[in-house]
Order: sequence, then C-alpha cells, then structure tokens
Amino acid sequence: MLLVAAITASAESILDGWEYTVRLGYNIGGTMPIGMPATIRSLNKYKLEANFALGIDVHKPLTSQWGVLSGLHLENKGMDVDATVKNYHMEMTQGGESIEGYYTGNLVTECDEWALTLPLFATFKVCDKIMLKCGPYLSYLATKSFKGYVYDGYLRKTDPTGEKTNMTNDKSVTFDFSDNMRRWQVGIDVGVDWQIGQRWGASADLQWGLNGIHKSSFTTIEQTLYPIYGTLGVIYKLK
Amino acid sequence: MRKNVFLTAIVCMCLTACFKEEPLNAECDIVQAWMHYDDTSYVWNSSDTIVNLSSVDSVITFTVKSGKDLTHLAPQFVITEGATIKPASGSEQDFSNGVVLYTVTSQDGLWHRVYKVGFVEEVRTTSDTIYYDFERVFLYNEKYYTWSDYQIMDGVEANNWATGNGGFALSRSSAKPDEYPTVPLEDGYEGKGVKLTTSDTGAFGKMMRMPIAAGNLFIGKFDTDNALKDAMKSTQFGSPFDKKPVKFTGYYKYKPGDTFKDRYGNEEKDRIDEGAIYAILYKNHDAEGNPVVLYGDNVQTSEQIVAKAIMPEVKPVDEWTEFEIEFDYYEDGIDQETLNNLGYSLTVVFSSSRDGAYFQGAIGSTLCIDKVRIICETTE
Repeated sequence: MLLVAAITASAESILDGWEYTVRLGYNIGGTMPIGMPATIRSLNKYKLEANFALGIDVHKPLTSQWGVLSGLHLENKGMDVDATVKNYHMEMTQGGESIEGYYTGNLVTECDEWALTLPLFATFKVCDKIMLKCGPYLSYLATKSFKGYVYDGYLRKTDPTGEKTNMTNDKSVTFDFSDNMRRWQVGIDVGVDWQIGQRWGASADLQWGLNGIHKSSFTTIEQTLYPIYGTLGVIYKLK
Repeated sequence: MRKNVFLTAIVCMCLTACFKEEPLNAECDIVQAWMHYDDTSYVWNSSDTIVNLSSVDSVITFTVKSGKDLTHLAPQFVITEGATIKPASGSEQDFSNGVVLYTVTSQDGLWHRVYKVGFVEEVRTTSDTIYYDFERVFLYNEKYYTWSDYQIMDGVEANNWATGNGGFALSRSSAKPDEYPTVPLEDGYEGKGVKLTTSDTGAFGKMMRMPIAAGNLFIGKFDTDNALKDAMKSTQFGSPFDKKPVKFTGYYKYKPGDTFKDRYGNEEKDRIDEGAIYAILYKNHDAEGNPVVLYGDNVQTSEQIVAKAIMPEVKPVDEWTEFEIEFDYYEDGIDQETLNNLGYSLTVVFSSSRDGAYFQGAIGSTLCIDKVRIICETTE
C-alpha cells in the first residue's frame, strides 16, 4: 500500500510541472553545401516558399534553470533558387540514359521537404522570460522533392574540352533528384524562446542539418547539400 | 547570451553563403580562325577567310587558289578567354608541308587541346559526273558513323557528308554505333550503301520535345553545339560547287514506319510517313556579299536557291529502285562567273522522314540509298 502510494506520488511529481507550448513558425534558409564551392558564382533569385512550421512542445523543468524539451513539429524546408554556376559538375539522367559533364550557366533548383520533426533539447533559463534550447532533432520527410531546370548555359561533355551543348531556354532541360533523397534527416537545433506575456512569446531557432538531403550513394551533385534553416515564430503557452 | 546565439547563427550563415573567388577558365577552344591576305588574289571572296568552329572541330582548313605561296602565312585565332595558344596567333608559319599543330592551354593550365591548321588548294571538279558511293565510312570517337568521300590533304578528311548522328548521341549516349539513325549498309546496291532509320530519342528526347530523330545524310555540316537549342540551325546545308548540275540520280529503298506521330507524341492515324530525296543549288553569298548557308527551315524555300531537284514522292519500295531527277532551274538561271568563283553551293539531302526536322514522323521508317550521281552540264 505504501509502495503504491510512493509510486503514485513520484508519478505525480514526474508529471508535475510539465509545460505545453504551441508554436507557429516560418523557416528561412536553404539546402546548401557547407562552404560555397567556387563553381557556384552567384544567387540570382531566392524565392520564399511555404515554409511553415507548426508544432507542439512539452517542456519539463528539472531544476530552476535546466530542463528538457520535446515535441512534434510539422514543417516545410523548401527553397527556390536561381544560381549562376561555372564548370559545375552535374549529370542528368532520364530513362537509363545520362548526360554528364561540366555545366556553365543558370541553374534553377526547387526543393520541398515536408517533414515531421521530433526535437530533443536541453533547456536553460537565463531569466524568467528567456529560455535557451539546444539539442538534436530527427525529421521524417513525408514529401520530398528536389528538381529544377537549366537555362542560358552550356554543358561540356565529360570534361571542359568535351563536346559543347548549348542549352535551350524554354525550361525543357530538367532534372529531378527527388528519388535520391533521404527519408530521415538529423540535425542540431540551437534556439531561444522569449516569453513576452503570460502566454504569448516569440522564438528563434537555427536548424543545422547534419546529414545531406541526398543518399550517400548519390554523387551527381559534387557537394553534399545540407538543410540549414532559421525559424522565426510565435509561441503560445497552453499550460 | 541570446545575442551570442544570434551572432553565431549569423556568422554561420555568412560563412556558408560566401562566394569564393571565381575559378579560372577551364576551357581551351579555338572558336574562330581567320586569315588576312595582303595579296587578295589568294581567295575568291574575302568572306571565305573566316572559319567558325564548333566544339567538336579540331581541324581548321583555309581554302586558297592553286599555286599560291604557303610558306609565310599568319592565321589568327579567337580562343577561350584567358587561354593561351602556341604558336602564337598571328605568327608566320610555313604551311607548305601540310598542317601545323597549334596547342591551346586553358587559363587554369589544367586542360589543353591540339588543333591542326592547314591551307588547301581549291579542287576543281574535273569530271562531269560526281560519284557518291558511300564506301568511305568512318567511326567517330567509337560512337557513330561518318562519311567522307576524299581527303583534302594528308590526314585531313573532307567530311563532306553530315548526319544528325551527333545530335542523337546527346540523347542516347548509351546507343551502339549500329543503333544510330544513320548507319552504313553492308549490302548496298553496289558495295556499301547507307541506311537511314527514324529512331526514338528516348526519355531525354521526349523531355526536350524532340522525341524522334530521322535518319539523315546531307552534303554540309551538322553543328552539334546547337542541336538542342536550335535544331533547325544545326543542319547547315551545302558546300561550294563549280559545275552546273542537270541531273540527280541514285538507287533507293523505302519502308515507312507503322505509326506517324507529331512532335508531342500524338498519333496521326491516317498519315503515312514519307522519305525525302532532293538536291538544291543556291547562291552562297547574298546581295551584300555576306556568306549564306541554308538551314533546316529554309533549305527548300530560300530566295538564294537557283535550282532544285526534288523527288516528288518517295514511294515505299522493297527492292533497289533507280531514281532520276532533273534539276529545275529558276528563271534567272545560273551565272557562269559566279560558278567559276565558287559562288554556288550544292547540297544533296536524304531523310527517312520528310518532316524529321520538325520531329514528326514514324519510328522505324527506313530509307536505304546508294550509288548517287550528280550529272553536270558538259564543259569542253
């Protein structure tokens, strides 16, 4: 009887002090190589995508300052960039045929990654209102898409002395590497929650992908591309 | 503390987003070559002193009148920005012993290409009948076949015939030489012939809205550089000709493919594919003296044309069948002086699908040709 009471009491104390937060955010960033290769010359256009993040977090303070946080977020890390590249190694494949070589010109990449993300963070309260967060996250991609087209450029087949193919400008030369993307992504999140009022607050996070968005067997794009996004959002404390 | 997190984030983003210094150019092409002759009697037309190159060209030939001194000539070159060329552009070289080798090295120093540059004395057509027997066939880069009737100088093929095989290579890189649209035929009418087959360009071709490639063979040049961007301009018909052609003859077989499709892949039920056999003579300079070449979209309609020999209908036939077409001259006829000055160009064209240039036709349409002749007016 005592034992049961003790367990109940400790269970109550474990459950005690959980905080629930709903968050709505917007992801700004890109899927990019770490350290821009010299072959990428300029970004001509960067279009914001519907990169909304909606989630619910549970936070458990362990001491007056330290705590743990987890939750579930539904979010998109998309991008639409138009870049100018020079001697950029690439390979296009269609129906078993491939064109491989060095591309110079413009390259438009559209990427969509709708994901369910599970964060697991350590938290630290700097003061009453400000809480720092840091820890890994795991994402499962429900929708994955990485495709685009080239324009106003040319490909040198195999190497820079190879046959030159001037590309059409009607967006008909496309690539699609969606099937080569990973389902699971892991990364590190560093962020801060700022409680402004009783329930409302603001948040800022930086999500740094640790594995590339494509499978390691995929070598068409020379550089490994990592999803690196900042999230700005509002938070609402339920309890 | 919060500030630090943000700072770290910003610094990280910046590091990632920073652009490195532009890499040096890796290409090393001669894109144009030209000659300035102090003595203008070297050539018929001053515009003939410019040679534009496509990326696959590695031989440059200048045609000069016969009997000229070739020991002190200084061709000039436009090369990839930053690249270097040896011997130098504009330096005097002795071309009397054949080609001179020029090496272009890329700006980054990692790549180089070697070009053969030669001066060729113009060849006058001596016979009244020009024979095209398609016996001299070559395999280019182990990929596809090319035809050349003669050598213009030691080790330099005339490559007077062109095909669209180079375009097909872009979309079907895995194709074997015999799977290309234009291939040699071992059992031709006499010796080897040529077999032209309208072929499927595969997934890439479909993506680029060029779902088929007609087998073609023509006198002229095929520019692979622009095969995707401007397919019509990639077929450059004709080469200078100094006789007055009157008749175009040869042997052929033709079998249309089963299903005629338009460029979007839609089936046209009642349409039966047709082949194309024709020859065109045209003025190769316009009224202002600019050089003219005919392309896929005007080879039969250009105002430069002076005579046509077009087979009205390439009927399906299983057996070798002789054809004989008279050149039909326009009212103005032909100017003897222009003819002597190589001011006319002749092209002879064969295609397994008449509208192949518009990517319309039936996959499997097959045209076989052999023993082609251009019979010219007899000159005493």
